[in-house]
Amino acid sequence: MRGAGGARRVIGLRLVEAVVVLLVLASVVFFALRLVPGDPAALILGDQAGPAELAKLRARLHLDESLPLQYVRFLRGLVTLDLGDSLRRPGVPALRRVGEALGPTGALAGVAVGLGSVAGVALALLAVGPWLGERRRWIDRGLVTVAAVPLLSFAPVLTYALSAKLRLVPLPGDPDAGVSGLLFASALLAVPLAAQVGRTGRAALAEVAPLPFLTVAAAKGATNARIWLVHALPVASGPIVTVVATQLGALLGGAVVLERLFERWGLGTLILEAYSSRDLPVLEGAVVASGAIFVFVQTLAVAVHAAVDARARR
Amino acid sequence: MRKRRLHAAVPLVALVAVSAIVAHASTASPTRLDPSLSWCSPSSDHLFGCGEGGVDLLALVSRAELGGVALAVVVGLFGFVVGTPLGAIAALARGRPERAVSRVADLIQAFPTFLLALVVLSSVRSPSRIHLALVFGATAWAPFARLALAQTRVLRDATYIEAARALGLGRVRVVFRHLVPQLLGVVAVQLGGTGAAIVVSEAALAFVGLGPRDGVSLGAVMDQGVAAMLRAPHVLAVGALSIFLTSVSLLWAGRGVEAE
Repeated sequence: MRGAGGARRVIGLRLVEAVVVLLVLASVVFFALRLVPGDPAALILGDQAGPAELAKLRARLHLDESLPLQYVRFLRGLVTLDLGDSLRRPGVPALRRVGEALGPTGALAGVAVGLGSVAGVALALLAVGPWLGERRRWIDRGLVTVAAVPLLSFAPVLTYALSAKLRLVPLPGDPDAGVSGLLFASALLAVPLAAQVGRTGRAALAEVAPLPFLTVAAAKGATNARIWLVHALPVASGPIVTVVATQLGALLGGAVVLERLFERWGLGTLILEAYSSRDLPVLEGAVVASGAIFVFVQTLAVAVHAAVDARARR
Repeated sequence: MRKRRLHAAVPLVALVAVSAIVAHASTASPTRLDPSLSWCSPSSDHLFGCGEGGVDLLALVSRAELGGVALAVVVGLFGFVVGTPLGAIAALARGRPERAVSRVADLIQAFPTFLLALVVLSSVRSPSRIHLALVFGATAWAPFARLALAQTRVLRDATYIEAARALGLGRVRVVFRHLVPQLLGVVAVQLGGTGAAIVVSEAALAFVGLGPRDGVSLGAVMDQGVAAMLRAPHVLAVGALSIFLTSVSLLWAGRGVEAE
């Protein structure tokens, strides 16, 4: 009996693992920021601060308490979603700033995942399916080439050519850019993802291609589109879902690069701002929130994989 | 005997050699500023032109290139040396250790390097290449361990491994004398991929402002190029091309180790 029970067990294990990963990440952030040689309060306020100011800030950040007590307070803050106020914007809770930054980054990454998956799957189908004949190999070579070009190289060059010189697309950092700006930024972010999905999908589909059930479908008169989309693609979807999940870290890194390139507001911009201004509550909240999204999507990918492919439940 | 395509390493060697010669021969400093030359176009005096504050781009790029490749090679070899035996031992042990190593490697490989780097860099006062090496070293072993694990799963039932175990060789001896040599060809390809990823990550971190303090990084060139995109597009071209060429030549060199 390895049906739904198996899937539930796998997902349950992954949830426990997700909590452990988050706890480790949160603890590492906490101690990394507290064990800096020197006083965080002095780093925040600079050399000009008087002892009274320093003591006040230390008390606000609870830096005057013992380290274990601070740690317990921090963990309690994570559970109750209250890490205190942002230092840079007094009066605004740190987690509210994190929440506000999640929207733009979520839109950027979400649209990129959508575009990248669709483009990648389409290219994989073209690379294995019968439509292109011998020219199929071009797609394969193209995918390998594109996967070798780093986002950091081609995104600024394309921005220069398309936005600055030809003015075909608006700069995505421009407040008036709207949907087309978002689409342009997401399309840039989707290119490396599409190449990875395409390569993995091609390999997965090539494994499915010689199986007899496709011949049966063809013998029953199914069209090529039906054979590949309805019969072959679901069987090959496991590796495709998994590769999207493993590209998540790269996707977040890419989003940070693009936010910096376009001066677009988002989680990356917030983290960098909090890092340079030593806004400890915001920095902790943003790092743990990014980690939470990361483990959530990983777990989701496992659940989706287990749902579509019985072999993954073992 | 496997045939190794050594000529695949030619672009990388050429790139490093040219950078080394330029870095040693040129009198221009990668950090000296000369405001009167700010953003000057390429000329016979400054082959790549100048960047922000009149810094000589050829000197800056050649030194950043050497630093980036050195970081990639050191960290890549570290990941190779640590990850390969770890994956092989885990696969030989089977059961729980195998699953644990496999899962941890999966997680680490997918984890955002950016976050990890941020956490480590925020615990030091002035970030340097050593700290970056620590960050990348903490993650670089994972792909090697995964590959070695997958390969050992195939090899562990081979008769020569069984014979070695039957002769009383311990697990560690079996791994180092019989398994690792077999894995070298396959796992070494990963070296190129890991090296390229490290060069790009280092540049990306420097681009967003988490680079070495002296600004000698390909990402810093890119940052200048983006800032002066309209005034001095040559800076952008130099930055983008140097990152691309470094990454691709590392990938190529890795493929060369692959058996034909």
